[in-house]
Amino acid sequence: MNTFLTMENITKKFGDVYANRAVDLSVMAGEVHTLLGENGAGKSTLMNILSGLYHPTKGHIYLRGHKVKIHSPAQAVKLGIGMVHQHYMLVEAMTVFENIILGTTKHKSFFIQKDKIKNELLALSAKYGLDIEIDKPINEISVGAQQRVEIMKALYRGAELLILDEPTAALTDIEVESLFRIIRRLTSEQKTVIFISHKMREVLEISDRITILRAGQTIATLIKSETTAAELAHLMIGRELITSEYEKKTVNRELILQLDQASFNATSKHNGLNAVSLTVGAGEVLGIAGVDGNGQSQLAQLVTGLIAPDDGDVHLNNRKVARFTPAHFIASKVSHIPEDRNKMGLIGNMTVKENLLLKSLNSSRFSYGKGWLLRRRQIAMHAREIRQTYDIRCASVEQEIRNLSGGNQQKTILARELERDIDLLVAVHPTRGLDIGATKYVHDKVIEARDRGCGVLLISADFDEVLKLSDRIAVMFEGEIVGVFPGINPPIHEISLAMAGKKQQTQDLAV
Amino acid sequence: MDIFLSLPFLQELLLSTLRMATPILIVALAELYSERAGLVNIGLDGIMAFGALAGFLVSYQTGNPYLGILAGALGGILVNLVYAFGTIQLGAQQIVFGMAINIFAPAIASFIYKMAFGSSSSLAQATLMAAIPIPGLSRIPFIGDVFFNHTPIVYLTFLLVPITYVFFAKTIPGLNYKSVGEYPKAAESSGIHVVMVKYKASIICGALAGIGGAYLTTSYISTYSDGVVSGRGFIALTAVIFGRWMPGGILLAALFFGFTDALQLRFQVMNSKTPYQLLAMIPYISTLFALIFFGIKKAGPASSGKPYFREER
Repeated sequence: MNTFLTMENITKKFGDVYANRAVDLSVMAGEVHTLLGENGAGKSTLMNILSGLYHPTKGHIYLRGHKVKIHSPAQAVKLGIGMVHQHYMLVEAMTVFENIILGTTKHKSFFIQKDKIKNELLALSAKYGLDIEIDKPINEISVGAQQRVEIMKALYRGAELLILDEPTAALTDIEVESLFRIIRRLTSEQKTVIFISHKMREVLEISDRITILRAGQTIATLIKSETTAAELAHLMIGRELITSEYEKKTVNRELILQLDQASFNATSKHNGLNAVSLTVGAGEVLGIAGVDGNGQSQLAQLVTGLIAPDDGDVHLNNRKVARFTPAHFIASKVSHIPEDRNKMGLIGNMTVKENLLLKSLNSSRFSYGKGWLLRRRQIAMHAREIRQTYDIRCASVEQEIRNLSGGNQQKTILARELERDIDLLVAVHPTRGLDIGATKYVHDKVIEARDRGCGVLLISADFDEVLKLSDRIAVMFEGEIVGVFPGINPPIHEISLAMAGKKQQTQDLAV
Repeated sequence: MDIFLSLPFLQELLLSTLRMATPILIVALAELYSERAGLVNIGLDGIMAFGALAGFLVSYQTGNPYLGILAGALGGILVNLVYAFGTIQLGAQQIVFGMAINIFAPAIASFIYKMAFGSSSSLAQATLMAAIPIPGLSRIPFIGDVFFNHTPIVYLTFLLVPITYVFFAKTIPGLNYKSVGEYPKAAESSGIHVVMVKYKASIICGALAGIGGAYLTTSYISTYSDGVVSGRGFIALTAVIFGRWMPGGILLAALFFGFTDALQLRFQVMNSKTPYQLLAMIPYISTLFALIFFGIKKAGPASSGKPYFREER
């Protein structure tokens, strides 16, 4: 087999952050080559470079041995590179036919020559077993069919190399099978496929070769038949035991939070919870590890009252929760560092001072008559104190919060959530997008809260973070808790397998 | 009441309907071209006002109403390019910018008029565009006069309806154009130059809305006065919603509004006891009802009204 594509020494920097660092990738003609890696490993960046959306800071791309420069998606198409994005680029209000011919310059006519093009499409559809209803509007066909339309779009534009970015994320099992059949058909016709995924089972089923990316770097390229799930998981997660600078505690029996078979939207693998049972004790950190989009968001929303369970119970301080409203949870001493600070955590156009006050307006410390009349001097004093103690860098507490850096915004949230009298802290991706200094600060504060006797539910896609902070680690996969592990000397290998969806016997540490 | 059924009355009413529907129809089509590229333009009234003035001035100076129409189109484009620059280039809020056009364009038109003619009470008169009967067809009894005895602008406007339909439904450029209003990111990734399409749309919209304004002062009444547009831009906006963003639907909507306008004029003439202000409200009230009953379900382009920022390349 010949080499179809070589990416050599590709480096991409966003600001000061490396998304790709000297990545090498070599893809043979007619193979299915998988890019495997955690979120943020640099898979999508690499593919966006290949499809012309980003320009690499450094490095070269060779197609069929010739050096190419890819300036735009249109040029990538010309070179025979087609990409099926994770979020489909389809116009809902148009038909399948219209979407496929959109923007093409194949036929230089002014009027749409429907019959002629339709025959070409039907032939293409039959050749690769795409099974597309050409005249249906996009919003009337299934997600799987929409994906086939995207593949058809690429093929109609003459793609020789097809990039599929997490193509199975939104598909049912049957649709995945049919997708795999199509992929095999494509490679049997000498098309080349780059398959992006972090689902071990699928990767092992469809790939010829697998390149593992971690933290923006190429780790290894393996031949499928010569590797195992365990080896892949190990390379993907890629960590030996890290020593935590924080002292780990053993389980405390005084329960703050208890979930009993709680379910929400249980049939959804990515946006639901399926009979989740877990506990958080006073003075412990329960870390939830797992690849993003396995129900972690829903778990966070459930234990902060944003959603109510379809089934099962939630207990706070040994009392069953009857009302699932954020107000009730706030009153029950639950604090929340939400996953998206700009959407849920802060009001961008309000000042630092006002944002600090959001959950405490009714307290007699800051207002008379439960929020009717604000005690402005108290509020201003409080804000200035917080600014000092939490080292929030801003021009003044009157500055609009959206003008602050991410780290300082997060410190503001942290201050607001921790300065209240709380029993439970729900921290979701608390250090996402923060630099090392700010990360360390947030970690210290979380541990401080724990040591004061607060229960902490830490949900993070950053595995290091979970390992570092957690007294116990639960792994979520497709809406379920698939294992609970000790935080002291955590079995990294087993945890990484669980994260990749390998169910197994675990030490039952759940109470 | 017999008069309502008399043939001459009906003929007059229908003729008037067509004449009244013309400015609404052409401006509604202007809005359709704008919205299909994702630009909701509520500044139509302002563009019309400027077009009305430009049309009148040129027609008055040259004595040629056709040059007046051309001037109206150019004036409309000029005003709408301000909107285009703000919304496409700067990504400004479309509603805010449209409102700004509605405020400044009529004011500038009024200012220019006063510069040219002073504030005298006597209104300057320009030559009106003459009707050109279509040979043969115009001699058909009854409908000949109703449909085939108009100014060329009326023919052009009604001809634009099938042209627009064919453009959006049957042509490749039309399909690419529509995709910009639906999902600009998908359009861009399919190799369509989104920003270019939006600018083209703004030029078409400005020209058509400007012609709509100029029609009022070159073919309908022979003078310019402030407020000559009297909300027709907003009625046209309604016609687009009422017509479900389809050229045929917009035609029907414009005819409906034209009909109510024609009807209230007849009422005013016949019924001297009812205050004319009350009757003059009929088109606006019917607009209100049209919006209440047909404005609920949004059926327009999905990305209409949303600013588009090209991804960092």
